[in-house]
Amino acid sequence: MFDNNVFIKDSCRNVEENGRTTGYELQTLITYYRGIPLSMLEYVKISADGTEEDPENIQVSLDRIDWFTLKEAETVTDYKWEYGDPMYIRVMKDGGLPAGKHRVRLTVATRTAYIPVPLEGIRERDVVIS
Amino acid sequence: MSDIKTCVSLYSLQDEYLNKRMSLSDIMHYVKDCGAQGVEILPDQMIKGAPEASPETISAWNALIRETGLTPVIADVFLNTNLYKNRTLTHRECIGLLAKEIAEAHEMGIHLIRLVSMVPYWVLEPLMPVCEKYDVALAIEVHAAMAFDVQATREFLDEVKRLDSRYAGVVIDTGIFCRRFPRVVRAYETQNGTSPEVFDYIDTLFEAGTDLHAVLRKNDYKYPNELQTACRTEHDRMFVPLCDGYENLPFSVMDEYMPYIRHFHLKMFEMTPEGPEYSMDYKGLLEYLDAKNFHGYVSTEYEGNRFTLPGHPMQEKQQVAMQQAYLRKCLQEKHGA
Repeated sequence: MFDNNVFIKDSCRNVEENGRTTGYELQTLITYYRGIPLSMLEYVKISADGTEEDPENIQVSLDRIDWFTLKEAETVTDYKWEYGDPMYIRVMKDGGLPAGKHRVRLTVATRTAYIPVPLEGIRERDVVIS
Repeated sequence: MSDIKTCVSLYSLQDEYLNKRMSLSDIMHYVKDCGAQGVEILPDQMIKGAPEASPETISAWNALIRETGLTPVIADVFLNTNLYKNRTLTHRECIGLLAKEIAEAHEMGIHLIRLVSMVPYWVLEPLMPVCEKYDVALAIEVHAAMAFDVQATREFLDEVKRLDSRYAGVVIDTGIFCRRFPRVVRAYETQNGTSPEVFDYIDTLFEAGTDLHAVLRKNDYKYPNELQTACRTEHDRMFVPLCDGYENLPFSVMDEYMPYIRHFHLKMFEMTPEGPEYSMDYKGLLEYLDAKNFHGYVSTEYEGNRFTLPGHPMQEKQQVAMQQAYLRKCLQEKHGA
């Protein structure tokens, strides 16, 4: 139901920090129809070219200033993921994605009080890393 | 004499907002241009920072209200009881969260809050002093699949009756009055792999004056033989429970609750070119409300947006305009205006 919200087009790129490629980043809209505190993010899964990324290497941010691991995000209630605003996701991984074409699959799920299962959205995109 | 006014829930235009084709200002002006008298908002959808929005954000909202002349009728509020992954909020935490929503509604010029279905009844009494202070009433949503036969809803309705306060009421979502299963849902889910036979079976239930929710409930949630036969795949069997959110109740189910009903969500899956909504009889409902001397707003809530077929354009704006025009026609016919 929320697949169309997931994985904003052309948002995937490598992350450079201090002249080094420390991982790759992508953006998504919310898999729900309203904004919620970040603690209600249920899970994020990413695979690149069929290989699942280690959840411990995934970080999320709503402003690209404060970043949280998925475990840390479980207690973050002061930051609201607004409906219509992106969440930034990065996979911390030396070298990021190698230059060239990749098939990246993003799964995002939120937790709501009235629906017993997480609201999941999945989208796979071909991305080109220059 | 009844006094039925029109309203649009901004839920109806959420895809326009999400994908930045329209700003909140664009949407408010569009609602006004469609001829609606009032507006309904989900604060945590389109008000940044809600329920603790900044003074600037609240001022911007109030400026839009002044600009458009729309009446800010109602705020749709949720209770994040599962804010944390490892526990449910305590009673006092729940009440504290809702108190913030009440105060914010007041700042937004709103005097009515719709609490989403399944909010526990015990929040109501402790919040009455807060409602009185801010002149904001709380009304529980009665929604298909979570309506009069569901314990949490019954408990809340009993509490509304017991308190008998102008600050405690009910909002009816007309998804409980479907006379046909929405064909846009069928089309969308069929292309997602659900067998047409499942929908053929559900259609027979509506034709017989009932619905899947009622049949499953009567059958202790076991699938009747005809449904077992209709389910061709595991996907079908898993999908069936998602089809129970369309009920086929008579309008008379509202009789005993009319003194408490403050507002209506006119659920819409598809306005047809010829006028009526495909599944629901708005004209019949408005006649019922007129006979019951209803005073309040009936609010467009377009939900067909989530069943837009891949590759097809979003129809939110068109559908809202069509429903508003149809409602206006029905109300004018009724009152000869």
